[in-house]
Amino acid sequence: MDREDSKTRFTNVVTPHLDDAYGLARWVTGNRADAEDVVQEACLRALRGIAGFTGGNARAWVLTIVRNAAYDWMRKNRSRTVVHVDDLEAVERMQMPDDAATAGDNPETALIARADEAKLETAIADLPTVFRETLVLRDVQGLDYREIATITGVPIGTVMSRLARARGRLVATLGADT
Amino acid sequence: MTSTENDRLLLNAYVDGELDPAHALEFEQRIAADPALAAEQARIEALRRVIAQRLPRETASPELRRRISAMVGQSAQPRAARWSAGWRADWGRMAASVAVAFVVGSAATYMAVGPRDQQPVVRDLIASHMRSLMASQPFDVASSDRHTVKPWFNGKLPQSPRVVDLTAQGFALAGGRIDVIGLTPAPTLVYRHRLHLISLTALPAAEAAATPRRAIDGYNVVEWTDGPLVYWAVSDLATPELDDFAKAFRNGEAEP
Repeated sequence: MDREDSKTRFTNVVTPHLDDAYGLARWVTGNRADAEDVVQEACLRALRGIAGFTGGNARAWVLTIVRNAAYDWMRKNRSRTVVHVDDLEAVERMQMPDDAATAGDNPETALIARADEAKLETAIADLPTVFRETLVLRDVQGLDYREIATITGVPIGTVMSRLARARGRLVATLGADT
Repeated sequence: MTSTENDRLLLNAYVDGELDPAHALEFEQRIAADPALAAEQARIEALRRVIAQRLPRETASPELRRRISAMVGQSAQPRAARWSAGWRADWGRMAASVAVAFVVGSAATYMAVGPRDQQPVVRDLIASHMRSLMASQPFDVASSDRHTVKPWFNGKLPQSPRVVDLTAQGFALAGGRIDVIGLTPAPTLVYRHRLHLISLTALPAAEAAATPRRAIDGYNVVEWTDGPLVYWAVSDLATPELDDFAKAFRNGEAEP
């Protein structure tokens, strides 16, 4: 594939998903300036690797590259904040309160529904990275479980448990009467 | 009553429409019998709604797009991509959704499409689909009512397309538009699947042997022949779901 072909394919395959790419990078890195650097790096990788894209789901392909670029970026720039996922999920399982599903607390639902933009942003930003990216891919970007599993490189069961935990935390945070 | 770890995962999958029909039905019955599960379902749905409604969509800034274009080389920008600058915010929303584009028309309306011409046709279909994702909205007439969409075409094309109501199958009609395939205007129907958009294309059937399924630049194309027409589905939806849609459309009943 020559350079002209690569450019054309890049424009067809990657460009339509730039907003999603930026959205994912913004939520994974936690800020917009870093997200721009990550997206630019990811685009460079995508351009180099475009010949390897053999069709299928372009958005998932692009987002996989963005996610890897974001994690590489974080490892380089914020090595101390990257949390080991396995530990996190074990801890989370123990901490998940059983009474989170108590019947009859509709006031909680009403509180969640009243959450404003700032409160939502803070609550999502406070989620551990792997929970946050799973939630963003599903509830912000609308991908299905299979796509999220592909992008994040984990089995569907793990996607399910991360999503359930991310939502569980948000429900607890936003539903708390503060 | 407390729900187990497993129930929590199933409940989330149920809310996301990820359970197959048999399990979804079973789980629905469990929710009906278990107020704790029902309350948790309400909370998850409230959360999903509030995220969808209040969390602003992130969009790549013009500066970032400019930097990336410069990096890639502006000369490769196709027309559709250049148009996108002014539509960015809406495009972001649309790009986040899955779309299948179907253009539906009659044999009388269109140029015959021979086998050798298929590649340009597919390219036009994909281009129209991409263009619709970049536009401020993917259709020219927005309506979930086929009795609104069908007459809209009447004033513009010699014959309006077959419009099928697939709401029950999970594909809600979103609207219609006119695409130009070759040099011929063709009606396009846009459907929505969950949070996603769907667009599908039909042209007069030539004797062309159908090549049932292919993927081009990340868009899946599925085609099938129905009498005098060949229907083309263009989508970044996964092929199994696209096939479901095609099957539902084929089996669907057109309006009287």
